[in-house]
Amino acid sequence: MILRPTREDVKLIGRGIGRVILGVGLIMAIPLVVSILSTEWSTVLDFLVGISACVAFWLVMEITCHVKRDLTWFHGLIVASGGWLAAMLFGAVPHFLSGHFKSYLDSCFDLMSGYTTTGLFLLQDLDHASHGLNMWRHLLTYAGGQGIIVIALTFLFAGTAGALKIYVSEGKEEKLLPNVVRTARAIWMISLTYLMVGSLFIWISLLREGMPVVRGLLHSVWLFMGAWSTGGFAPQSLNLLYYHSFWVELVTLIVFVIGSFNFALHYAVWTGNRREIYRNIEVKSFTTTILLGTVMLSIGFGKFGLFTNLGEFFRKGFYNLASGHTTTGNSTVYSVSFYREFGFIAMWAVILAMAIGASACSTGGGFKGLRMGIIFKYLRGEVRRLASPESAVVSEKVHHIQDIWLDDPLVKGTMFIVICYVVIYSLGAMLGILYGYSPSVAFFDAVSAGSNTGLSAGLTSPLMPTLLKVYYIFEMWAGRLEFISIIALFSFGGALLRGRGVRRKR
Amino acid sequence: MRGTRRPHIALPLIAALVLAAFPTMFCGAARAAEEVTTQELVENMERYDGREVTITGEAVGDIMVRDDYAWITVNDDAYSIKSIEEGGDFAGLSNYGIGVWAPRRELEKIHVLGGYKNKGDWVRVTGTFNRACHEHGGDTDIHAESVVVLKAGYPISHPFQYWKLLVVIILAGIIVVLWVVRRKKIRRALRKA
Repeated sequence: MILRPTREDVKLIGRGIGRVILGVGLIMAIPLVVSILSTEWSTVLDFLVGISACVAFWLVMEITCHVKRDLTWFHGLIVASGGWLAAMLFGAVPHFLSGHFKSYLDSCFDLMSGYTTTGLFLLQDLDHASHGLNMWRHLLTYAGGQGIIVIALTFLFAGTAGALKIYVSEGKEEKLLPNVVRTARAIWMISLTYLMVGSLFIWISLLREGMPVVRGLLHSVWLFMGAWSTGGFAPQSLNLLYYHSFWVELVTLIVFVIGSFNFALHYAVWTGNRREIYRNIEVKSFTTTILLGTVMLSIGFGKFGLFTNLGEFFRKGFYNLASGHTTTGNSTVYSVSFYREFGFIAMWAVILAMAIGASACSTGGGFKGLRMGIIFKYLRGEVRRLASPESAVVSEKVHHIQDIWLDDPLVKGTMFIVICYVVIYSLGAMLGILYGYSPSVAFFDAVSAGSNTGLSAGLTSPLMPTLLKVYYIFEMWAGRLEFISIIALFSFGGALLRGRGVRRKR
Repeated sequence: MRGTRRPHIALPLIAALVLAAFPTMFCGAARAAEEVTTQELVENMERYDGREVTITGEAVGDIMVRDDYAWITVNDDAYSIKSIEEGGDFAGLSNYGIGVWAPRRELEKIHVLGGYKNKGDWVRVTGTFNRACHEHGGDTDIHAESVVVLKAGYPISHPFQYWKLLVVIILAGIIVVLWVVRRKKIRRALRKA
């Protein structure tokens, strides 16, 4: 039974969400500085309004929701899911004030897409957008990739035992270090180191390809943020096609593949456990599925006959397949090309790759490699059990940092999440079909939103129906938080509305 | 005498005819190129593949020089006529543009590139459309033969928005009040403890 929340429960959640919003306000200071340096005064005001609104909200929450209790698991789930929604509403302020969005809903769409590292966008006239706005777009995918909660934990929740609860509620299960706040800081340390190294390589590639020094530097940081976080945003409307560069594509490909791996795997390798790369189930799962996808893509391209040599296969086929599989969304072709230039088989290779997605506890979305590995091993175990004598004990394990034996609760939990993904993908596709889009296009964009990928076959645009925009926001949010927190939030809302029932024990 | 004078009359006549034919031939080539928009090209790639086309639009972003050639992006959407930063209406799309590969000297004519602060030069590009260019790793592009600047770009003015400043001042006032209230509450709680 779902218990009716007490006033203290609401206060605890309100205080937690207030701190998350303060975190959003703090990270807005970076695009503010970029706007000042670029003398974009109108954009400076947009960010000052955004920061002020975040600080004011935090203060209201601190005053009205002061409570001495610590968070429980239930509160953690609500703070995570509610925090993401509130962060979307407050983060959308500079977007909307920029004048590049027709409605606040469109701004919220882009915010949720950014935080969840999806990469779909409804921003209009991107090629005339300011540096400040572009910095904010890319920064929020970078920050969202690490987890908004991770940001709040890093700076604002030091020392609280409840921190672990909201950390796990954000779809991250790995504890790299015994203390969750130190884990959050370790995630940041890894990401910031990669930011410096990765941006440098992209910058060198851009300079080689004729970009001016300063714009090249800004583009390199933005491209890194978009690729590493598996967000897929880029500062120009043509995305990666704008650069016409094999080298930029190669470096971003390496960045988003590394970015799509589990933080625990990164940490293991960083601390000297290099064998983990070869043993980890997620690396094996990713390698297998991307190879299968490449075979499917080759068959599709072979039948269609448009991209005829290895270079074209790599830059137009493999790049977009890997971008889809890692749920990045960087693209080297026009959106409509997936539908008109790839052919049915190659297009579905990308759709399936997006649906499977990246690693657990990474910046990516989708079913996740770990779950694919667990399901595959479970099915293999079942087949072996059927083929063995009745008295034989057949058990399977997967290796992810440590050996994990497969038991029924683990497999059931895994299957539940995968089914939830299939349901949100299918519902999104049905809605698209009902609105008159072609089934392949409807599936492509619905899977892209639900798996937080960001590739589009042309459905996602500011002119798409409002209901689809709202559903895609829900898909991105639910897909990123992996459902449990969302279910908890709806239960909490239901219990509040019911207004009766058993009171939660203090 | 007559026989010797004839070539003198014929030569200027031939020269005049050739000179007159030159621009006609040139225009004839341009006329052969079909006037299209990027949206038409992208949505009908197979139809236009390998054909000579002409697009007219705004040069945006950067000129990326690669030896004797360079890349430029040309947008020909509603925002290339009046961008949002200039107060243009929403057209319901991000942007529609295409990469143009042209000899460097052709692109040296372009001086202003479109972005937040500038409206880019308005250019007319004639060249061959490639659905999947084999020279450039399968890119969809136009290999330009001529680039003509029709209208020079200009800086976009961004008037200071005083209403936003007013909102910031009001919010700052609210923050100060809330901060004082919070401090008082904390002091009261400390005194009680």
